[in-house]
Amino acid sequence: MSLMGSMWYYFERDLVKWTRWKVTVFAHLVTPAAWLIFVGLTLPVTFTDNYLEYLTPGIMVMSVLFASLQSGSLVIFDKVLGFLNKFFAMPAPRESYLFGKILFITFRGMVQATVIFCVAVLFGITVYGVTSILLTYLVLFLFGTLFASIATTIALAVDDHDGYAAINAMISMPLFFTSTALMPYDKMPGWLRTVASVNPVSHAIDSARVLLSGGDIALGEIVMLASGAAIVLAICTYVFRRATL
Amino acid sequence: MIEVNNLTKRFGDLCAVDHVNLHVENEVFGLLGPNGAGKSTIVRILATLLRPTEGTARICGYDVVKDPQKARSMISYVPQEMALDIKLTGRENVLLYAKLYGIPDRSRKVDEVLEVMELSDRSGDLVRTYSGGMRRRLELAQALVHEPEVLFLDEPTLGLDVAARRRIWRHISSLREHGIAIFMTTHYMEEADEYCDTVAIIDHGKIVALDTPKSLKSSLRQDVITINATGAFKGSDLDSVIFSGGDDGELRFLADHGESALPELSRELLQQGMTINSIAVRKPTLDDVFMDRVTTSEDDSAFDSYKFRTMLRRRR
Repeated sequence: MSLMGSMWYYFERDLVKWTRWKVTVFAHLVTPAAWLIFVGLTLPVTFTDNYLEYLTPGIMVMSVLFASLQSGSLVIFDKVLGFLNKFFAMPAPRESYLFGKILFITFRGMVQATVIFCVAVLFGITVYGVTSILLTYLVLFLFGTLFASIATTIALAVDDHDGYAAINAMISMPLFFTSTALMPYDKMPGWLRTVASVNPVSHAIDSARVLLSGGDIALGEIVMLASGAAIVLAICTYVFRRATL
Repeated sequence: MIEVNNLTKRFGDLCAVDHVNLHVENEVFGLLGPNGAGKSTIVRILATLLRPTEGTARICGYDVVKDPQKARSMISYVPQEMALDIKLTGRENVLLYAKLYGIPDRSRKVDEVLEVMELSDRSGDLVRTYSGGMRRRLELAQALVHEPEVLFLDEPTLGLDVAARRRIWRHISSLREHGIAIFMTTHYMEEADEYCDTVAIIDHGKIVALDTPKSLKSSLRQDVITINATGAFKGSDLDSVIFSGGDDGELRFLADHGESALPELSRELLQQGMTINSIAVRKPTLDDVFMDRVTTSEDDSAFDSYKFRTMLRRRR
């Protein structure tokens, strides 16, 4: 069985398991939409007269971020419950399991982001053509892969579900609040601006924001996200190999 | 089909498997031993999930370290945890394995193994509605979907009721008849006695007995005498019996002629000031062989409570 083939089957397994429990899917899709509505329509901001439009890319990236971080422990569950032992005694390439998992985590985050986008469109944000939306999804995909790999690497290194949950709680909020999701750089206090400018979450949000407001993306941003994702994925693969044999 | 030479596995200072040699053909091979003796470690090495520290293991001629992909295509491994996706149907669980193995005409093959495991009528139901015995049979169906030469089973009947256990054993025996080598670990001596062609008893990582259950039993003397007595036992000088161990006030002796050795033995115990509560003479079982060969009876490995709770939860 080829790497891509078995990766797809592992992906399909997670996807079917996810969609089978309607309540879970519903909860996963409603939570980010609640963020958009309660923050986007209530915060008294002065730097823009359409805060919802400003906020939408930030919340889209946020849902990919949180979805990725929360899914980090999926690998630990499969390990603790004995699935990995069965999978790894098969001739299918072991990495295909890891890549399938990261693909699923990324995909689920992108589905959540899509719900945000649709809700935002219902509330009347301007849509600028198919190309800008497709490029936004490319950004979300690369960003999702980056953080799904980071999350899985941490989970493999910690090797404990509760420990991972604690780390997730510790890093997810700071990552979000030190980004440009809620406000632009020039409205931030100086120290926050410094942190935000190196936060990869900001870079993904900035790219998505430029694209969704009809601007052209800087190719540099995409290359940077792509190479970041590739490097972390390589590290993740290395940690995975060491943790499983 | 399985060739194991000088297999050794160390975890730090602990030698979990100590220069083990085994040879398994088309048979039901049972690996017995106390908890922590190294049973699962051996199975995990043979299933290419662990690397040995020393020695070699071959499955159908393929070295598990040098040629793991080939070895994996010959085997199936069913661990004790019952790892099934309960949110998928029985058929979907098997279908995943057929896909991962790249089985041609997989739909037909999946139906076939479900039929063999007597699960066809429930194959469309979610696995969460399955009983423990059905889940174990579903795992066997997964394991058989690519027609393996060797099947590794780690405690296949653990936690199942008597009827479910019988059924699993009937299937295992019929797989042997179809030319598959079955390599399994178990704690149930009566089951090993009844269904295994060969058993190996392992203790502290070493093989301490290896033969058919019948010859192992006859290697002991003819009879086992168990005496339930209170008081301090000071050892026996008699030639007709051998003391083989005891716990909780129950002493176990082996004798060639149980009935005739009994009067002598009870006299000796009374002279030592012991009070005898009950006496029984019986034929040896595999349990007796086990108790005779194994030095540890206490499990001192770390108890994995998380895993235990998970298993209980999934059994409900």
